[in-house]
Amino acid sequence: MTILKSTSFGIAAAVFLASLAAQASAGSLENMERERAMMIETMLSGDIDNTQRQGRLEIARTRLVDLERMVLRDKTLIGKNQPLVRAAFDNYDLTFVVHASVEKNRSVADHWLSEIGLSTQAIMNARTGRR
Amino acid sequence: MNMTNSRSADRPAGLLAAAALALAIVAAAPTSAAAAAEKWAPVASEKLMQLPGDFLRKAVDNDFARSGLAQELVSLDEQVALKRSTLADLQRAIERTDDADIRLDLQHQFLNEKRNYIELMRENQEIRRRRAATKDKLYERLLGNLNRQRRATTPEKAAFIAKQTAARERFRASVSQVDEQFLTSAAASQSRYAREYAQNLNAVQELVAAINAHPMNAAPAIDGQPVTRAEYLRQLVAENQGDLAIIDQERAILGHMAKLVSLDALALSEGIAGEVYAEIDIDDTAEGPNRVTSAVEFFTTQ
Repeated sequence: MTILKSTSFGIAAAVFLASLAAQASAGSLENMERERAMMIETMLSGDIDNTQRQGRLEIARTRLVDLERMVLRDKTLIGKNQPLVRAAFDNYDLTFVVHASVEKNRSVADHWLSEIGLSTQAIMNARTGRR
Repeated sequence: MNMTNSRSADRPAGLLAAAALALAIVAAAPTSAAAAAEKWAPVASEKLMQLPGDFLRKAVDNDFARSGLAQELVSLDEQVALKRSTLADLQRAIERTDDADIRLDLQHQFLNEKRNYIELMRENQEIRRRRAATKDKLYERLLGNLNRQRRATTPEKAAFIAKQTAARERFRASVSQVDEQFLTSAAASQSRYAREYAQNLNAVQELVAAINAHPMNAAPAIDGQPVTRAEYLRQLVAENQGDLAIIDQERAILGHMAKLVSLDALALSEGIAGEVYAEIDIDDTAEGPNRVTSAVEFFTTQ
């Protein structure tokens, strides 16, 4: 009887811990990816002037610092072999763009453009043509 | 009626019967021990796998102590202890008596008790062998489960986890640099997440330290050296293999004892007395009251 009680208590505790873990970090990666996409959209947008762009990028950068940290500290993502998670960790420089840009002493925009292969030199050398 | 003649006439038949009984010991099957062996069947459960440190061994020992097999072993140990004292009493009585007939009767009784002792010890050994074999199987199964869990991590998944670990390492290395840049920036103040995370981190670190220091969370250790769970299980398997080997050796000793009893019986039936037939050289370092070697003297002297 005592064994049964202690076993059921152990199972209940395990279920409770599992539910806590699941609640704590649902969607951290999705939130970060959404914020990152919006920041890139702001970077590339032709509808806003430069001052507006800088202001918006600064706000996005501050928000992304926290979101990137939440993802990197999220233990539920460890070993979670799903396409979204795999893609996020495949390229640290593009996913955790704010931390990587500070690491390399570059602005977020410069860093992102350089990581996808667009440098000022490359753009200057580009020719307009038909594909 | 002449009592002496009557006793003399009965003696060869009785002694031959004793010899036959003694010889039968070698072939006797320990049926009661085999039945008792069914009384302990531990399961290699996930709960057992999760037990920390030396609690795994203790849990298995406790489980055995609660089983019917353990009760059987305790009862046999008591019987063996009683039989040893009976043998000692009879041996003393044989040494003290001057009457040839009484001496012969006592010798006959002594032989009979030795036979009983061998049978009890055989049952005792069988139960100990079953216990060691069951433990061995249990630890092997646990080790197999552990290896299966390890194999469940595919190379792709392992590579992915390595990538995640590298990302976290890189993040840890750059976090102070990022903080520095953001705190010096006039536009950015520390976020609520950052403030509360820093506050909670202290509490988390204290709790983690308490968890690490908790005795129920102790890592398995061999001679005070921390080892992996797999290494610990391999150590338990090796210890049980050692127990099985010792029991096999003790079985050989019992075989020698049985042979001596049958030789004694034959000698008695032939009227030869007062000779030592054999000597057994036993290296007995772990002397206990019910060790089979502690009764050798009863078999090497008449």
